[in-house]
Amino acid sequence: MKILIVDDSKLARMGVVKSLKEVEPNAELFHAENGLEAVEIFRQENPRVVFLDLTMPVMDGFEALKQIIAIDKDAQVIVISADIQDEAKQRVLLAGAKNMYPKPINEEKMLQIFQQDLLI
Amino acid sequence: MNIEFNEDQIDALKEFMNVSIGAATANLANLLGAFATMHIPRIDICDSDKLIPKVNATIDLTSMYYVTKQLFTGKFGGECMFVMSEGSAQNLGKHLYDIENCTDDDVNDAVIELTNILTSTIVSRLTQELDTGVQFFVPSSQFVDAHSIININDVTHYSKIIIISTILEFKDQQINSSIYILTKDEAIESLKMLIDKKIEEIYG
Repeated sequence: MKILIVDDSKLARMGVVKSLKEVEPNAELFHAENGLEAVEIFRQENPRVVFLDLTMPVMDGFEALKQIIAIDKDAQVIVISADIQDEAKQRVLLAGAKNMYPKPINEEKMLQIFQQDLLI
Repeated sequence: MNIEFNEDQIDALKEFMNVSIGAATANLANLLGAFATMHIPRIDICDSDKLIPKVNATIDLTSMYYVTKQLFTGKFGGECMFVMSEGSAQNLGKHLYDIENCTDDDVNDAVIELTNILTSTIVSRLTQELDTGVQFFVPSSQFVDAHSIININDVTHYSKIIIISTILEFKDQQINSSIYILTKDEAIESLKMLIDKKIEEIYG
């Protein structure tokens, strides 16, 4: 399964990678450091799942989500962000994200995401 | 003492700060009933004599400012400084109290309330991310011109200062402020050790 991890922080991306090790150990992982890279990789690789940060340089996660959903309205995007405002969550859910979780993510939350939010 | 940070340490510190600012922003958004645009934190490590020019570069030098400073101690000790222009502070007062003409006391109270929430949430969350704790001192608050935000005498006895800064922006309410966390020589070494421990945990 192809999974795209989008975050400008290497530490945050590695946190997602670590939490995926037990839950989806054989996943093929792609990394993007901003929204623009994420949209390009999404277009090329059509990953099954996208883990997307919101506050990023070049293109933020709100815009990247909009563009990914425009490419594939059924894209499975999970937002993982430090922005935990209610309105931020409403915006991303309205834009088509499957769910949004506060940073940092751990194995327990990742398991919950795969069991409850994703159609795998 | 090695007080230089490598790329991974800077990345980790930025990410911990991002999470901390996110928690503080959500608290404030609830208080104000408003939505804030989050900005990526900046990390600058500079000689102490560069602090004033760095802060001045980010503000309007013709404005007056509300400045609140709060010291904290612990393995990661330092000072949290919150800077808000007079215009933003008046907008904050109007928004919080829902009145058009706020008194100076109203504005000052509003700034102190906001600062208390911000400082305590940011620093507590940051130290929580680093698996440590801090003790807070009573904050001090001033209304000063742009050139008086930092007193040079307060910083000259430190060689290096880390400035962790970000912007808090409530666009619709026209409220902007800057937050700086200043930490000095002796805290930098222990901060690096705390960061390395977290990096090791995540990178494995």
